[in-house]
Amino acid sequence: MTLSALERARYQRHLSLQEIGAAGQEKLKAARVVIVGAGGLGSPAALYLAAAGCGTLGLVDFDRVDVSNLQRQVLFDTAALEQMKAEAGRARLAALNPEIRVVSHALELKAANVRALLADYDLVVDGSDRLSTRYLVNDACVLLGRPLVSAAIHRFEGQVMTYVPGRGPCYRCLFPQASDGMVANCAEAGVLGVLPGVLGTLQATEAIKLITGVGTPLTGRLLTYDALELRFNEFRVERRRDCAVCGDAPTITEPRDREAPSASAAPDGVRRLTPQALRALLAAGATAPPLIDVRERWEYDTGHLPGAVNIPMSELPQRIAEIPRASQPVFICRSGGRSMRACTMALKSGVATPANLEGGLLGWAADVDPTLPVA
Amino acid sequence: MSCTVRIASPLQSYTAGAARVDGRGDTLAEVLGDLEQRFPGIRFRMIDEQGRIRPHMRLFVNTDEARDLTAAVHGGDTVHVICALSGG
Repeated sequence: MTLSALERARYQRHLSLQEIGAAGQEKLKAARVVIVGAGGLGSPAALYLAAAGCGTLGLVDFDRVDVSNLQRQVLFDTAALEQMKAEAGRARLAALNPEIRVVSHALELKAANVRALLADYDLVVDGSDRLSTRYLVNDACVLLGRPLVSAAIHRFEGQVMTYVPGRGPCYRCLFPQASDGMVANCAEAGVLGVLPGVLGTLQATEAIKLITGVGTPLTGRLLTYDALELRFNEFRVERRRDCAVCGDAPTITEPRDREAPSASAAPDGVRRLTPQALRALLAAGATAPPLIDVRERWEYDTGHLPGAVNIPMSELPQRIAEIPRASQPVFICRSGGRSMRACTMALKSGVATPANLEGGLLGWAADVDPTLPVA
Repeated sequence: MSCTVRIASPLQSYTAGAARVDGRGDTLAEVLGDLEQRFPGIRFRMIDEQGRIRPHMRLFVNTDEARDLTAAVHGGDTVHVICALSGG
C-alpha cells in the first residue's frame, strides 16, 4: 500500500524514523484497528492513531456525549453534546486526518455481534468502562486470534497490558473472573481527567508498535501507573494453563454476555432487594429495616431515602458497630456496587443477613420514584 | 520482617486513603493478617472464605506474582495489591 505525496508530507516525522520509515507507514496505512469505548481511554488512543495514519479506525460506543465526559474525553468538544459518541468521534477523526477511513459502530457489544465486528479488524484497543465488556472483548480476541491492548483506570491509577495470540497471557489469565459491581466505576469513584490521557496514549503506542513490528510489546507484563506518585510499576504475568479461554483445556469457546454471579460478588447471607421489594418492606412501617446509605456525604446531601443514615464507605470499617447486629439493615448506594461491598463487610462483622438495594438509587429512581435526585 | 504494601485504589477506603502502608510478616499470609489488624475488613476483599486470592485481585511480591499466601516476604520487599479496574 504505497503512500501518496500528500501522505509522505503528512507523515514526514515518521518517515524520518529509521524504525518506521516508509515501510512502517505503509503498514499503518494498511492496518485496521478498532477501539472499543470512545471514552477517556478511547479518546486519546483514537486521536493519536488517526494522526499516525492508521488506515482504518473503528469506533465502538453506543453512548451519547454528556457534559461530564468533557473533563477527560478529549475526542469531543462542547458542540458535540448529546451526539452519539461513535458518530461525533468519527467526524472529529475525519477532520483530523482525511486520509484515513473511520467507521462508527454506534452499538453495544454483545456475544451475538462481537465476533463479526472484531473480525473485520486486525487489532483491538479496549477502553471500555465495564468489566463484562472487557471479558467479552478479551474472549473474542483470543477466539479470533486478534491482538488486544487493554487498559483501565480508577481515580488516580491505571493499568495496561497487551495480549498477542500465542505469545503470552490474556486479560483472563491476569484476572480470571470479576463482575461489575465489585469495583466502583468512574462515575462513582471519580477519575483524574488527565489519567486516561496517559493510559490511552500508551495503548496507541502499543498498537503502533504491533502494527509496524518495532520495539518490545507489553506482553506478559502488567504496567500500572500511579498519577499521585508519578510512578510506573511493571509486573510479570504468566499465561495460566487453566485459563478458561486461552488455557490448555478452555471452557469458553464462544463469547458470552455476562459472568455468572460469583460467590464473591454475592456472598451467602446477603439478601438482594429490588427497588420494588424495598418499597414493600418500607411500607410495612414498624418492621421496616434500618437504611444505611454508604455514599459520600455530598452524594447523600443531594438526595436520599427518608430515614436513611449516611455512613460513607470510607468510614464504614470504623463505624460498623453503629449497626445493630440483628437489625437486617439495607445498604444503599448509587448503583449497587459499593453497597454490595458494604454488605460483605457487615457480614464479616457479624451483622445478620444484610440486604443490598440492587441497582442502587438509580434503580429506585427508575422503578419507584423518578423525583429522587441522585448525585 | 517489615515491608511496604501498596494498596490498590479501590481498597484505599480501608486505609484512610493511603496508597502505601507498612506491613509486617515473613509470608504473604502474615502480612495480610497484620493489615487486617489495623484495617479491619481489608483482607476479606482480597482473600475468600477458602483462603484463596480472589479472582479479580492479584498479589505481587516485588515484580513476581504470588499464586497463594505461602509466598515469602523479606525485609524491604514491596507487596503490591492489584485489583481489576473497570473504568475507561
